[in-house]
Amino acid sequence: MEKEPILELKEICKTFTKTIALDGVSFSLVPGEIHGLLGGNGAGKTTLMNILYGLYRKDSGEIELKGNKIDIHGPRDAIGYGISMVHQHYLQISNYTVIENIVLGTDIDKRYTMKLDSEAARVTELCDRFGLQVDLNVTIDTLPIGTRQKVEILKALYRRIKILILDEPTTNLTPQEVDSLFDSLRVMVDYGMSIVFITHKLREVLSVCDRITVLREGRNVTTLERSQASEEVLVRAMVGDQVNIESSVYFARDTQQGSELESDAKPVLALQSVGLISKDGIARLKDVTFQMRPGEIFGISGVAGNGQRELAECVTGIIPPTSGQITLNGKDVTQTTINELLKLGITYIPEDRLHDGFLPKGSVAQNLILGYHRQPPYSDGRFIDWKTVYQRANSLIREYNIKTTGPDAPGGNLSGGNIQRVMIARAFSMPSSLMVAHNPTRGLDIRSMDFVYQKILERKKQTNATLLISEDLDELLLMCDRIAVIYRGEILGILERSQFDKYAIGRLMSGIKAEE
Amino acid sequence: MTIARKITPYMIAIVASFAAAGIFIAAMGFDVGRAYSTILGTSFRTPNGFIQTLLKFIPLTLLALAFTVPLTAGKFNIGGEGQMIMGAIAASAAGIMFAHLPFYLLLPLVILAGVIAGALWGLVPAWLLYRFGLHEILTTVLLNFVSFAVIDLVATGPWRDPAAGHPTTIPIGEGGFLPMLVSNPPLHSGLILAVVVAAGIYVYTTRTTSGYELVASGANPRAAQVYGINVKRMFVFSLVLAGALAGLAGVIEVAGVQHRLIEGMQSNFLVLGLIIGLIAKGDNLAVPFVALFIAVLEVGASAMQRTMMIPVQMVFIVEALVLLFVLLSDVVRRR
Repeated sequence: MEKEPILELKEICKTFTKTIALDGVSFSLVPGEIHGLLGGNGAGKTTLMNILYGLYRKDSGEIELKGNKIDIHGPRDAIGYGISMVHQHYLQISNYTVIENIVLGTDIDKRYTMKLDSEAARVTELCDRFGLQVDLNVTIDTLPIGTRQKVEILKALYRRIKILILDEPTTNLTPQEVDSLFDSLRVMVDYGMSIVFITHKLREVLSVCDRITVLREGRNVTTLERSQASEEVLVRAMVGDQVNIESSVYFARDTQQGSELESDAKPVLALQSVGLISKDGIARLKDVTFQMRPGEIFGISGVAGNGQRELAECVTGIIPPTSGQITLNGKDVTQTTINELLKLGITYIPEDRLHDGFLPKGSVAQNLILGYHRQPPYSDGRFIDWKTVYQRANSLIREYNIKTTGPDAPGGNLSGGNIQRVMIARAFSMPSSLMVAHNPTRGLDIRSMDFVYQKILERKKQTNATLLISEDLDELLLMCDRIAVIYRGEILGILERSQFDKYAIGRLMSGIKAEE
Repeated sequence: MTIARKITPYMIAIVASFAAAGIFIAAMGFDVGRAYSTILGTSFRTPNGFIQTLLKFIPLTLLALAFTVPLTAGKFNIGGEGQMIMGAIAASAAGIMFAHLPFYLLLPLVILAGVIAGALWGLVPAWLLYRFGLHEILTTVLLNFVSFAVIDLVATGPWRDPAAGHPTTIPIGEGGFLPMLVSNPPLHSGLILAVVVAAGIYVYTTRTTSGYELVASGANPRAAQVYGINVKRMFVFSLVLAGALAGLAGVIEVAGVQHRLIEGMQSNFLVLGLIIGLIAKGDNLAVPFVALFIAVLEVGASAMQRTMMIPVQMVFIVEALVLLFVLLSDVVRRR
């Protein structure tokens, strides 16, 4: 395939205050291809594409469109050149209808009556052509994530763009939705469009992309035709020599052995018909019942916003459930506060690290003891033993590879990935019979993800249970003994490891119960 | 961060603000060098000047701490003035009512009464915050005005000193006077109280578990709550503690300096306390040092007005400029 490239990025460099995000990266796109941009977190994929879309300025380098050098100062320029980008977080006006969101910012035929008939006809035609079925007259906030993504893609198509950039588009989609997205992408390239597909998931790249560019630490590693690519080659390219692939959990070929857990052992955690009604009267959790055995890794799968956070907060005692009972090691803890639960051996990695778990104005050491600051060895209940705290903090910084100048450094200076490492170091620094981990690997590079997985597996050996709530289905399939699927606050099914099936879980994630 | 690096921006800010204010002084036709040597030198030239400075230092430190301690927990106490007045009123009331008691009973009683009254005056906004979520800036400021009315009532009421030309009460019992450290010029033992309290606050916020919770509540209330800290209780506690600190300042003014309640005795300590707290960037350890510096300027300012007829407001401008330049240095460093 020796076509003339439609777009070329040459030697792009970008530095954020002190970190070098991109160090001379080049990238080319030909018409009619899906080009995968693969790399771990922090590899620079999104930064590169944000530069192309005009959200960031490049420090140096050139962008050429059809051989002509262009300057992009903002998304408006990018759209003018036929380039559009769908981010992980959709920029939509939630109380507008689908069609209003799609035409927003473009000229319309009847600008005084706001009758959108002719526009709607065009959008419907696009929907049919690309297999993106959306009801145009419903408001955005009633739609699930997967459909909102279609709206975002339609927005780009409506603007007649030639190049579409998708940033981790499969996050939060069920496997069925992923398949249908890939089908739509195929149709688009058949019409001559070019697509950049940013992801960190190897298998997706291999199933949909024509060419694959791998980035690592802000540099090009390689660009391959799909025929040349294999998982082996891509893994090596993504991680370089830092990770020992043989012992890695992340790249494990045959996933964990099934559980050798005694099923008659006393449950560590048991939820009995737990319900939660929020202040505004909406049921966030409905009749949630499950039990966790010692050493079990119990997964909660579901599209974001279906009650995962509420479930985590009920179990950890941050909000008391409205109904039902929670027992921890045989003790009723339904109304016990987190303060007591931390002493009883619960530990929590919250999803929203910046809001729920981190003190930006506190030092790294202060952050590492949050929640354990009343317990030995850090404190005798009255005074904090800073000498011990600093010793432990130093060893945690080393063990968890937190990049900081020392325990004294202000937390606010840490990068997102390092903040996540602090959360993880804190959670694993104390023995706990139950860990509640909500998206624990978000924002981590592959090496750190692998480290977290190994730590969680270590817990299994010590017969400590882990409640792993994650939006990454692959992560759950890799790690868990059992997976429960949550949909609108309800557990729709619990699958044993032997029954794991992506598509079965995907059906449950979209609210379709098994007909049995 | 080394101490030198911490202090450098302060030094630059001070030099810059003196330079800027010097232009004004020169433009007004005064001798800049003499003005500044008066401002900076008065405190150190005579024993009297030095003791005047220490006497200013006491209430300034306490009122600045009454601002920075809640600030550590992320709350803004602008009510130090009212809390100080209430402390002074309660201390005078105790000192007048039990005037006949011996000093070992009366002095603790006077101190305790004032500290508790200040704490209660801090509890009001704290409770309004806890119960109804009313913003503490508003409530603390408004309570200052209530305290003005109360001091007016007390100073013109039955305890009024008819001989005085200004609303003033009769003196408190002699047993309620703070013992003197130096009798001439007079320096009372409130200085020791203030230094001990400032050290205690520093130890509390940096070494104790409860102090850690206070800092965590200020750094990120949501995260503190998620990790088992009763944040609302820390807010209440910080405001009550601030009230007690300001109340103690009131006690010391009554028992150490005036020996009676005088309307207007709160002076401009609230505003200076805020300035000190902000120049110190809320750091409880830095507060006493900044307070000493501001006390030197204040004493020098009075002397400058007396000897050179330069208005004291000039020094107020210098203080404000120091604050501005310190804040500016933060912005510059972030770039």
